[in-house]
Amino acid sequence: MLLLQLLVNGILLGGLYVLIAQSLNLIFGVMGIVNLAHGGFIVLAGLFTYWFATTSGLSPLFVLPLAFVAMGLAGALIERFLVEPLMLRERRADLASLMLTFGLSFVLVQLALNLWGSDFVSVPYLQSSYRFRGLNFDAALSISGVFAAVISASLYVWLNYTLSGKSLLAASQSPTGALSCGIDVGRVRMVAFGIGVGLAAAAGVLVIVVLALAPQSANDFTLLAFVIIALGGLGNYLGVVAASLLLGLAQSVAGYFWGGNAEYVLPYLLLLLVMVARPQRFRQSP
Amino acid sequence: MTEDRPAALAVEGVVAAVGPLKILQDVSLVVNAGEAVAVLGANGAGKTTLLRTIAGLNIPREGTIRLHGEAIEGLPAHRITRAGIGHVPSGRELFPRLSVGDHLELGGRFSLPARRALLRSRVLDMFAVLRERIGQRAGTLSGGEQQMLAIARALMTDPRVLLLDEPSMGLAPKIVLSVFETFPILREQGVAILLAEQSLSLGLAAADRAYVMDHGRIVLSGTAAELASDSRVADTYLGR
Repeated sequence: MLLLQLLVNGILLGGLYVLIAQSLNLIFGVMGIVNLAHGGFIVLAGLFTYWFATTSGLSPLFVLPLAFVAMGLAGALIERFLVEPLMLRERRADLASLMLTFGLSFVLVQLALNLWGSDFVSVPYLQSSYRFRGLNFDAALSISGVFAAVISASLYVWLNYTLSGKSLLAASQSPTGALSCGIDVGRVRMVAFGIGVGLAAAAGVLVIVVLALAPQSANDFTLLAFVIIALGGLGNYLGVVAASLLLGLAQSVAGYFWGGNAEYVLPYLLLLLVMVARPQRFRQSP
Repeated sequence: MTEDRPAALAVEGVVAAVGPLKILQDVSLVVNAGEAVAVLGANGAGKTTLLRTIAGLNIPREGTIRLHGEAIEGLPAHRITRAGIGHVPSGRELFPRLSVGDHLELGGRFSLPARRALLRSRVLDMFAVLRERIGQRAGTLSGGEQQMLAIARALMTDPRVLLLDEPSMGLAPKIVLSVFETFPILREQGVAILLAEQSLSLGLAAADRAYVMDHGRIVLSGTAAELASDSRVADTYLGR
């Protein structure tokens, strides 16, 4: 029964991880850049949710659509006016984009520090749990994990089963080929970046319901997302789902038996193992 | 060419560079509706850059490019595609993890539904093997099938001018011939073809007229029959 309980918690946590990683993966898949400001967007949205929920007394879930749209628009603007000019001008566009998003991450973290200070906060929301067939379902974790999984699944369906989603996949697999279909690849990149940032914001809203956050947590989330997409395969959407669930389960088990530190260090241990054993994982699959 | 109807494609005095390197110097050529024209030249003569420049993937520094009389140079590449230039790029540039059906759907994205259905049945009649592979990922197709898919995708955009960049590359001669056999069908439908080809015999066999390129310039032009018997063509290739 204990193992089953750990399994449930692990899968719920994994559901949340899917969203955290998939948003980074989307931007990487389409643009070929790793968005180091990823965790910054998650933290900013999370802390905004905290502020909103504590001042208004409303459910933090109200922030979800708002955060997605507002941050998504901000992301699209960042792509158009910061990323794109850089990608067109620089020869080593991949390095330049790393520096740009690295700098952006500092801006976001400082913004959050100035607005809300450096304390770890969490939203006192749904602190109950439900019992079902002898298993405990933590209400906040359940809602957060399920919402995140549904959002990720919607992204997957959109990408694979709609013409606009397929256009985005096409632009990521061959920009020249996409242009020869009449697809406006520049606009696709803007949309992809916007959706990626919007989904990171949605993840932030769902994270603060479950975990305590501070502005300086930003890099933890960037790294976590990077570990997952490295495990699952860069640009590989189903692989990332598997890696998220695996990591959620592993953390749930490790946290129970060896405590919080083990839980924290586990993603990096896994990353190290993959880097040593399967270095080809770090090339984008064709 | 009659004076009142402009050529399907008219390139005039185009100068283009890739990075700091000038690749095209004062290139001019004409392709009329329903005509198949080859651009011949050795590797590095500038054929691919010429086609990419016409398709808008490379912006010309000087010169004009007209599609049925309308200037298109400097337009973004996706607009040029929608204006009626189909590009089968070098290396095919398929989407390896998307299906054959997806490629046709994406190619026909900007056509009206009725037109799209007509184009789709046309290309599937032309390349029957693609119908059998409709749900298969492009990355799993053979080289010949991939080339056919690249052409089919370009045809789905309903082009008035089709640019083909070395469709023979890496294919067995028999398959190349079956690709070239589709040209007369396309020309009957009023599509003008501009074919970049390294192989002299293939290019001259497939086209009515040809231009020979060397070091970014057009050095010779004429009908396929004239060029086939012109010894200067071979000299250009051998660098004499």
